[in-house]
Amino acid sequence: MISEENVKSTGVTPHEVSVPFTQESARMRAAEAIENIVATLTQFRCPICGRTFGNYVDLKFHYISDHPDAILPVTVNLNINEKACQVLIEPHWTLHRALQYRLGLTGCKLMCDRGACGSCTVIMDGRSVLSCTILAVECEGKSIQTIEGIAANPKWKPLIDAYCRWDAMQCGYCTPGFLVSAKAILDKNPDPTEEEIREALAGNICICGTYPRHSTAILEAALKMSEGG
Amino acid sequence: MADIAGVNGQREHFRVVGKPNLPGKLSYALATGIGKFGADFVVPNMLHAKFLRSPYANARVLSVDTTKARAIPGVADIVTWEDEDIKKLGATPFGFGPRRAWLDNIADQENAEVAVIVVAENEDICDEALRQLDVEWEVLSHIVDILKGRDPDYPVIRPPEFDEFPPGMFDPKPDPDHPKRGNVSYATVVQGDIEAGFAEANQIIEYDLKLPAFASHIPNPPGSVAWWFDDPYNGEGKSLHIEGAVQRKDAIGGMYGMPPEKTVQEGLFQGGKYCDWGMRKSQEITPLLAKRTGRPVKCVNTREQTYDFLMNERYMHLKVGIKNNGLITAIDDFSIADGGVQGSSSFGTANDQGYGPYYTLKCLNIRQSMDIVDSNRGKMYLSGQHCPFNWDAGTMAIYLIAEKLGKDPIDIAKLNLHGPTSQTDMNPVPSFEACLDEGKKLMNWNWHPSKAKKLPDGRMHGMSFRYQICPRHAFSGYDCKLELRRGIVHMPTQGPCTGIFAVECNAMVVAEELGLQYEDISIDFDYKETFTPVGGGSDGTTASSWAMKECANILKQKILEAAIEEAENPPPPSMFGGFGAPQGPNPFKGLKPEDLDLADGKVVVKADPAKGLPIAQATQKNIFATYSGRPPAAIWSLGMGKMLDTMNTAFCEVAVDMDTGVVEILRFGVVADPGKVIRPTSLESQIDQVMYFSQGCQLLEEYVFDERTGVRLTANMIEYRKPTIMDIPPVDRRFLETRSGNAAYGASGISHSLANTHMVIIAIHNAIGVWVDPPATPDKVLKALGKA
Ligand code: FES
Ligand code: FES
Repeated sequence: MISEENVKSTGVTPHEVSVPFTQESARMRAAEAIENIVATLTQFRCPICGRTFGNYVDLKFHYISDHPDAILPVTVNLNINEKACQVLIEPHWTLHRALQYRLGLTGCKLMCDRGACGSCTVIMDGRSVLSCTILAVECEGKSIQTIEGIAANPKWKPLIDAYCRWDAMQCGYCTPGFLVSAKAILDKNPDPTEEEIREALAGNICICGTYPRHSTAILEAALKMSEGG
Repeated sequence: MADIAGVNGQREHFRVVGKPNLPGKLSYALATGIGKFGADFVVPNMLHAKFLRSPYANARVLSVDTTKARAIPGVADIVTWEDEDIKKLGATPFGFGPRRAWLDNIADQENAEVAVIVVAENEDICDEALRQLDVEWEVLSHIVDILKGRDPDYPVIRPPEFDEFPPGMFDPKPDPDHPKRGNVSYATVVQGDIEAGFAEANQIIEYDLKLPAFASHIPNPPGSVAWWFDDPYNGEGKSLHIEGAVQRKDAIGGMYGMPPEKTVQEGLFQGGKYCDWGMRKSQEITPLLAKRTGRPVKCVNTREQTYDFLMNERYMHLKVGIKNNGLITAIDDFSIADGGVQGSSSFGTANDQGYGPYYTLKCLNIRQSMDIVDSNRGKMYLSGQHCPFNWDAGTMAIYLIAEKLGKDPIDIAKLNLHGPTSQTDMNPVPSFEACLDEGKKLMNWNWHPSKAKKLPDGRMHGMSFRYQICPRHAFSGYDCKLELRRGIVHMPTQGPCTGIFAVECNAMVVAEELGLQYEDISIDFDYKETFTPVGGGSDGTTASSWAMKECANILKQKILEAAIEEAENPPPPSMFGGFGAPQGPNPFKGLKPEDLDLADGKVVVKADPAKGLPIAQATQKNIFATYSGRPPAAIWSLGMGKMLDTMNTAFCEVAVDMDTGVVEILRFGVVADPGKVIRPTSLESQIDQVMYFSQGCQLLEEYVFDERTGVRLTANMIEYRKPTIMDIPPVDRRFLETRSGNAAYGASGISHSLANTHMVIIAIHNAIGVWVDPPATPDKVLKALGKA
């Protein structure tokens, strides 16, 4: 059966696994993930029975005839990491779900699923938001930045580098969420104090307890960036 | 045992080992979000699966009618416990207790997977199908309060067949002379003559403490995605691809009769597992469902379904006999412990009696007896945090003796700790003495009795101290392989990335031994490789570096031999142009391998290191080295506390506001002896982590149950509070390098030995003179002070 979903491949091949994840290769992979986002939908898959249609109207008629009691999926226009795209979602879907299941972005992690941990943080129209508690339909026309967008932009290399140099991660599951929050602070305040950094990261939980590493990394990155990277 | 058995164990000069700020090999993948955990996998044409979860704490499914659920559009499959496919499934390792069907009709905790699995086009349809099942439940009595469940008249909650324990390392060992009664099993361990010990005592101290239960809290919700595919290179029949079961793919393959070479897993990221090694059902079931449906299937637990215990709760009563100088003569330790649901790890209960803090003491008269109460509170899968927690009964004894005698607890600890070789060895333990000297300086240690010190801001000041031996359960061996290929040293490994940078530590040791830099070592991640640095906690992981050091030296010898051989018999020039053929006369001609060394990426002449060739020019061969083995057994595993080598100490200072009950940890201090620091940046982070774990369980984290229904009320990250960056105190750390561990260069694992449940609690007592059970929330502190 053909899937029209914007899904990533099943993972890396053994050959790819052997390639060291250097800063550059990781940056390229993040850029590739953005590149792979499909701008315009050409296939519309019924989430109930898996049938695919060439346009939204046909999907709508299919619902009317085959799933009359079900709620019709909708399309939403998003701007993800500066790439405009149309996404087919169900109205109750969170932004996190849309990012993972429709756009193939894996950097936005789900830890608590109720707005308590910050692992799913993205930046929407300049503000940090929690993608697990925001409906994708509410994001129509919004500009959304995910960790992939930050990672792919060479401007933020000093921040990613500093995180890696300081082991501001152990298991790494919460790390992208912290990095998005870190980027949001530096956007607003390129020269934050340690206290300001702590306050800005107050909504991010790291079970592995890497907390002190984050302020060290962010302070180092801020300094490097002020010196021109 | 210090690393004297291995090559270069006594090395004195280090270029790579001990260097900070070396990025992890997978750190960029994690930081940029391209690293995928099980829950992140989305594959084309994928179905979703969910389990029926019990709304009751203890219940039996009598029957299920799936008709309505099957009729829902989008439902692909429904499997029940009566299905032959399910009955055939075995369990992966790390099961505890009697063998039990992989899925049955018994739900022994709220939210337990029970009786039915539904598979559908999406998760919402799964939820709808679960709602449409007609389930006939038989609701049974439950226990979430183990003190009530211990009552002999309380209804028995567990079916009798679950009490038949097979022999096994991790299984509870019930006392044969004291058979189970009601919901209670008994375990007793006696050493020496307890009565004689008390008769010898001048004074007796008795106290109660409650070890709190807390969550293992794996950050990444456990789950898997699996599919079957044709792989003509690996024989007939389909191969299995499973993601989300890092480290256990072969065991899961085994459940489905698949050999390792036909079980594929490319994900490297295991996520945070704090010695909670048990696979969840969501990680084991997807291959079966994928086989039945012919499509990839994903199954992931929610956060609410991931509130298993890292530690079961335990109520302890201690009676300690002491001489007038504070020397302990007898210990009588009685616990009422939560045995958890069927299959819970006995590390939280009877197994703890085998390690114990008490065996670090000169006191030879010790009785540990335990009532283990079956419950419906939850499951503890394995946990390596067990040993440190039981330890706090001993920490408290030392504090109470000090309080009673008006002495410094450090002096009481020194008086009672036995020497390095046995419980009757009266010599000091060098590592312990060194930690104490450093710790006193670090903390400006100036002991005061309870309620004696007020801070300038009016809050009461409290302090506490704790020690532990660095535990090492490096029982496993390691299969190491290194390859020199075109001048590059490759270290193939299956990983995984567990968060402790163990692969990187091994690469640093290889670089050290081969005269290279860390960045020169190519770490090749491949799930088919045998080498994994995981072998029992951070300690087993550290031990892997010993085996890798041996392997590096085998490779080194082979490189030097090859360099001499090629000096004497130069290989013919390649028609394609050799990539590293020696230019000019070979400086090694006429020498022997023992005349050569490796330094700065070159093969050099020992007598004149200026003479040398880059490795790629010295030999054009591909050279493999392998080593299978493990370091000599650690003192800890030989002596279980009765022998002592690397030790660590921790300190805590608190301020307690007598009006609000708010406790602030002013700082933690840690002076630890990891033997030899291999990778300082991650070592520091591991220490921070374990102190925050300790902070969390003593000040914030709490399981709250509704007693009537047995429902866990705090199974979410809002009500079950973990420390945030705003909560954490400073952790001042110092590391000593006594080189007395058994891993490479005398290194030793340490991290979870510092985890504790009572160091903050003791400091609070020292501040306010009353005991507060963890978590010491402001309301409990005020209550203890008689103010609420
Ligand atoms: S997953 Fe969104 S805040 Fe935790
Ligand atoms: S690094 Fe594991 S949760 Fe933060």
